[in-house]
Amino acid sequence: MSRHQRRRQSLLRPRRLAAPPLRFFMPLSLLACLLALLVLRGLATNEAFHDSRIAISVDKTTVPTELLKGGPVIDARGARNEHPVSYHIPDRTAVLSFDDGPSPQWTPKILEVLAARDIHADFFVTGAMTTRNPGLIRQIVAGGHELGVHTFTHPDLAYQSHARTSWELAQTQLALAGVAGVHSALFRPPYSSDASAMDDWNYPVIKYVGARGYLTAFIDCDTDDWKRPGVNEIVKAAMPAKPGAGALILLHDAGGDRTQTVAALVQITDRLQAQGYRFTTISQALGASGATVPVHGFQLWAGKGFIWATQVAVHTLPVLVGLLALVGFLNFGRFALMLVLAPIHARRSTRRDAWGPPVTAPVTVLVPAYNERECIANTLHSLAAGEHPIEVIVIDDGSTDGTADIVEEMDLPFVRLIRQVNGGKSSALNTGIAAASYDIIVMMDGDTVFEPSTVRELVQPFGDPSIGAVAGNAKVGNRESLIGAWQHIEYVLGHNLDRRMYDMLGVIPTIPGAVGAFRKEALRRVGGMSDETLAEDTDITIAVLCDGWRIVYAEHARAWTEAPASLQQLWSQRYRWSYGSMQAMWKHRRAVTARGPAGRFGRLGLPLIVLFGVIAPLLAPLVDLFLLYGVLFGDAPVTLTSWGGFILLQAALSWYAFRLDREKPWHLISLPIQQLVYRQLMYIVLLQSAITAMTGGRLRWQKLRRTGEVGVPLEAAP
Amino acid sequence: MTVSFDPGRSRDTMQLRVPAALRAEAAQWQEPEPEPEPSPAGRGGARDRYLDLLRALALGRVVLYHNFGWFWLPLVFPSMGVMFALAGSLMARSLGRPALGVIRGRLRRLLPPMRLFGALVIVLQILDGWGPRSDGHPIWWWSELAFWILPLSTPPYAEGLTGFHHVEPGWAAQIVVPLWYLRAYLWYVLLSPLLLRALRRFPVVTLSAPLVMVVVRNVFFADQDFVYGRVWETANDFATFGACWILGMAHQEGLLKKIPQYVLPSVAPLIMVAGFWYLQTRPVDPTVTTDIEAWPIAQALWSFGFVAILLHAAPSWERWPKPLERWNGLISLLNARAVSVYLWHQAALVVAVPLIDPLWSVPFFYHHLQWLLTSQWFTLAVAIPLLGLLVLAFGWVEDVAARRPPRLVPYPRRRGRRRAAD
Repeated sequence: MSRHQRRRQSLLRPRRLAAPPLRFFMPLSLLACLLALLVLRGLATNEAFHDSRIAISVDKTTVPTELLKGGPVIDARGARNEHPVSYHIPDRTAVLSFDDGPSPQWTPKILEVLAARDIHADFFVTGAMTTRNPGLIRQIVAGGHELGVHTFTHPDLAYQSHARTSWELAQTQLALAGVAGVHSALFRPPYSSDASAMDDWNYPVIKYVGARGYLTAFIDCDTDDWKRPGVNEIVKAAMPAKPGAGALILLHDAGGDRTQTVAALVQITDRLQAQGYRFTTISQALGASGATVPVHGFQLWAGKGFIWATQVAVHTLPVLVGLLALVGFLNFGRFALMLVLAPIHARRSTRRDAWGPPVTAPVTVLVPAYNERECIANTLHSLAAGEHPIEVIVIDDGSTDGTADIVEEMDLPFVRLIRQVNGGKSSALNTGIAAASYDIIVMMDGDTVFEPSTVRELVQPFGDPSIGAVAGNAKVGNRESLIGAWQHIEYVLGHNLDRRMYDMLGVIPTIPGAVGAFRKEALRRVGGMSDETLAEDTDITIAVLCDGWRIVYAEHARAWTEAPASLQQLWSQRYRWSYGSMQAMWKHRRAVTARGPAGRFGRLGLPLIVLFGVIAPLLAPLVDLFLLYGVLFGDAPVTLTSWGGFILLQAALSWYAFRLDREKPWHLISLPIQQLVYRQLMYIVLLQSAITAMTGGRLRWQKLRRTGEVGVPLEAAP
Repeated sequence: MTVSFDPGRSRDTMQLRVPAALRAEAAQWQEPEPEPEPSPAGRGGARDRYLDLLRALALGRVVLYHNFGWFWLPLVFPSMGVMFALAGSLMARSLGRPALGVIRGRLRRLLPPMRLFGALVIVLQILDGWGPRSDGHPIWWWSELAFWILPLSTPPYAEGLTGFHHVEPGWAAQIVVPLWYLRAYLWYVLLSPLLLRALRRFPVVTLSAPLVMVVVRNVFFADQDFVYGRVWETANDFATFGACWILGMAHQEGLLKKIPQYVLPSVAPLIMVAGFWYLQTRPVDPTVTTDIEAWPIAQALWSFGFVAILLHAAPSWERWPKPLERWNGLISLLNARAVSVYLWHQAALVVAVPLIDPLWSVPFFYHHLQWLLTSQWFTLAVAIPLLGLLVLAFGWVEDVAARRPPRLVPYPRRRGRRRAAD
C-alpha cells in the first residue's frame, strides 16, 4: 500500500475526511477502559502491584522495649500514637486466627470444624482473595467469626510508601464492604509474627496504621503451618509456652495444601479445651466491642460496584487473551509467510528472462498533477533521463499554482500537456488513458522521481500476455528525518516484503499510485479509474485482478517519493489510505462468492488483506495494552524482556527485508522508538477509519451500491 | 491539507536520482535559493532564548529539588547535565578566540562571586567556632583554604558546628552543597581547548570517553580507595557530566546537524533507558527512595540522553515564541543572576527554617496552622524572598566580574527589544 500522499484538497471531497476534533478520544478511552479492566482483574488474582520482597532489619533501636516484650495486640490509635500500648490475651483464653484466605478449598473445611465445636475465630483476609471468593466472606461473617485486614496484595509494607499502605487498607475495606457490607478495624501486617519481631523498618508501619485507626494484631504462637511440618509439629507449636497463659494462635487457610492445618486444628481445639481454655475472637478476648462494623450508603455501594466491576473484568480477560493470541498468531503467521515466500520471489526476480521476450515498444507515462509546482520539473527531468522510449502525458488537474505553465515552459519534446478543470485524480487519469497512444500505460505521481531504468524494469513483465498490471517499488526519498526514517522502515518491511508475499500468492491488492503500470486493454475492460473510493489505486488493482489478469511486483522499478514530513500530513494520508482500502474491500466484497478469477481473489486475497491489513492492526493495541499493564502493574522485567524479544525478531526480519531491497540497515536503529510511537499512531488512524466506516460511512456505501461495478465513463481531453 | 512551499525538500528528492547533468538544467526551474540560514548560535550578541529558557528551568529545578528532595525531579529534568551542556556550548563559541584569554575571561566572571560567597561563609563559620585547630591539622586547614580562592577541589567547610540560634549544626555543609558545580565547571573550562580539539578530530571517541570513564570507575573501582578522596571526587564529577559538556560543544560546532536527523532521537531514548534500567536494578534500602543523583552511571546516561534530545530539538529562538513572551522578565533576570541564585539558594533554604521555627510558639499558628508550618511549600515561600534579598545584596558582583556597570536588579527594561541585560 505504498501510495504517495497527494496534496489535493479537491480529491478529499468526502466531508467526513476532516478528522473530528476529538479523534483520539474514542480510541484512547476504549483503551483506558480495557486497561482498567486488566488492572481490576490483576488485583483480584494478586498479579497487579505484586511485590514479594521481604524486608529484614537487624536493628530494633526505635521500637520501645515494653512493646517488644508485651502482648500481641498493639494499640497505636489516636492519642496513643506517640506511645503505643500492647495488650495480652487473658489467661485461659485462646484466639485462633487464620491468615491469607479465604480459599475455596480449605476455608469451608475450617469453618466446618469451628462450627462443629461452636468456636468463633479471626480471619485475616487479603483483599485479592476477598474479591475472588465473596461467598466465603459472607459465610465467615454469618458464622459469627471476626474479619481482619491483611492488606490487598500481601506486600511487605516496610517497602511501601504511606500512600501505598493506605491504598492497600482502603481497597481491602472496599472489597469487604462490597461482599459482606462490613469494614474491619483489625489489621495484621503480612509476613509478621510475634510482637518481639518488630524492627526499625516495620515499626513505623504499625504506627502509621495505628494513626489510621487500626488495631494491629500480632500473635503469640506461630505454628509455621505453611511450611507443612506435620500435624504434630503444628499442634505442638500452637500450645502456649506457659500452660494457662492466653494465646493468639496463627494458622493459614490459604496458600497451598492445608490438610495438615485442618487436621491440627481439630487436635488443637480438643487439647486446649481439655486444658480448660475458652475460644473466642480478639475483640471479645480484650473485652472490646466487635471489630467489624456494618457500612451503609455510599461506602456500601462503592464496594458493591468494585466487586461487580472486578467480576466483569475476571470474565473479560479470557476474551482479551484470546484476541491477543489471535494478534500473535496473525503476526507470526505473516512473518512466517513472508520468510517462506519472499526468498522465492527474490530468486525469481534475479532471472532476467522470467517474462518472455523483452519489451522494447514505447509506452505512455501518465503524470497527473495538481499544484506540483515545486516537484514537477524534477519529475519530468527524471523521465527524460529514462532508458525506455516513452511519451509523457501531464494532466494538469486545474492547478492554481502555475504547474501547467512550468510544464509548458520546459517544452520537452516527448511531453504532452492536457489541462482540465479540477476533477480529481481518477478523472485526470481517465483523461490521460483516453489520450494515451500506446498499449502500456505507466502511472506516477507529480512529485515522484524515477530512476533511468525504472520504466524499462516496470514494463518488462508485460512480455507475458497474461499480466495485466505491474507494481513498482516506491522508496522514501526524505528518509533522513525521524518521521521519514520510520516511513522508510515501514515501506521496506511492511509494503515491499508484503508485496513479495502477495505476489507469490497471486493477489497483489494495491499498485502504488507513485509507480505502477497497466495494460490499456485491462483498464478498458474494467472501465477505467473510478472515484467511488478514496483509494482509487487499490480499487483499480482489485478490479483488474477480478477481471482475470495477473499482477506482479517489479522490485527493480524504483521510484523515489517524498513521504509526509509532518505528523499532520501523515495522519491525513493514512486516514485516506485506510478508509479508502476499506471502501475498496467493501466494494469488491461480492468477489468472495464469485466464480473464476474474481472468486480466487475473493476467497484468498480478500481474507488475507482483511486479516493482515485490518483485523491484526485493529487488535494491535492489545499488545501495547498488555505491555503497559505488565510494566506498570505486573512483572516489569518479564514483560519488557518478552517485548524486547519481539522487537529483536522484528529487527531481524526488517534487516532481512532491507537486505533484499539492497538498503543499508542504519535506519533500523529507529525501530524501537518506531514501535513506541509510530505504530500506535498508525493503528489509531485505522481505528478511527473503522469507526467512521461503521458509523458515518453508510451514505457513501449506498452510493456504491447504486452504481455497482460500472465505472464512470471516460472523459475526453479538452 | 495545506502544504507550505519548501524548496529544500524537493531538492533532496531530486538529488537522490536525477543525473548530475540534468540537475543543473533543472535548477533553473527551482525557486531562487533562500539566504543561507545563520548558524544557530554562531552570531555573537543575539541571545538564543531557547538556551536561556533551559538555563532558567534548570535553576528553578535545582531550587525545588533542594527544597523538596523529590527523587523524581532529577528524572523529569536533569538540571546539572543541561547546565553543563549550555556552558559547554557557550565555551565552544568563545573558543574562536585565543584559548588563554577565553579561560581567563571565564575565571574572571566565575571566581569573584564565589570568593565573595566564600568570604562570608568562612567568617560565619569562624564565628560559629570553626578554626585552624578544629580538626587538629592547622597546616592542612590553612592550605586547604586555597580552594576558596581557586576551587580546583571542593573548598573546605566545617562538618559539625554548634549552630547559631535555631540554625541546625550542619548548616555549613548544607550551604556549600552547590560548590561542587563550580569546581566541576572550572575543570571543564580549563580542559575545554583540549576537549574541543579532540572533539574536532575524533568526535565519537571524545563524546563517549567520559561515559566509558564513569562506567569503568563505578563498576570496577567503586569501593576502592586507592586515590586521594578529593581527586576521586573531582574526576568522578568530571566524567559524569563530561559527555553533556562535550555534547554542548558539538551542538555549537554544528556537528549534531551533520549526522542524519533520525539518529539522535532514535539513540538518545535507548541511552536513557539504559540509565534508568541501571538505576532500577540498584540495591534498595526501603527507608529511602533510590535517587538518580546518588548513582553516577545512571545520572551520566540519563542526562546525556536527555540533553541530546533537548539539543536535537534546539529551535534557536532569537525572539520568544508568543506564549513565553510574558516570562521574558523572570527568565532574563534568572539568566543575568544565574551564578548568584545558584550560590545562594541553599543559604536561603537553610535560613528559612529558623525563621519559621518561632511561629510554633505562636498559639494561633500552633493550633490552627500546623499543616502550614510543617509544609515544605511554606519553607519555599519563605526562602524565595530571602533568596531575592541575597541576590539583591550580592548579585552586583556578577556585573562587576563581567565588567558591566553593576545593577541591583537586572530586570530587562524594555520588553520590545527582548535583550536581556548582557
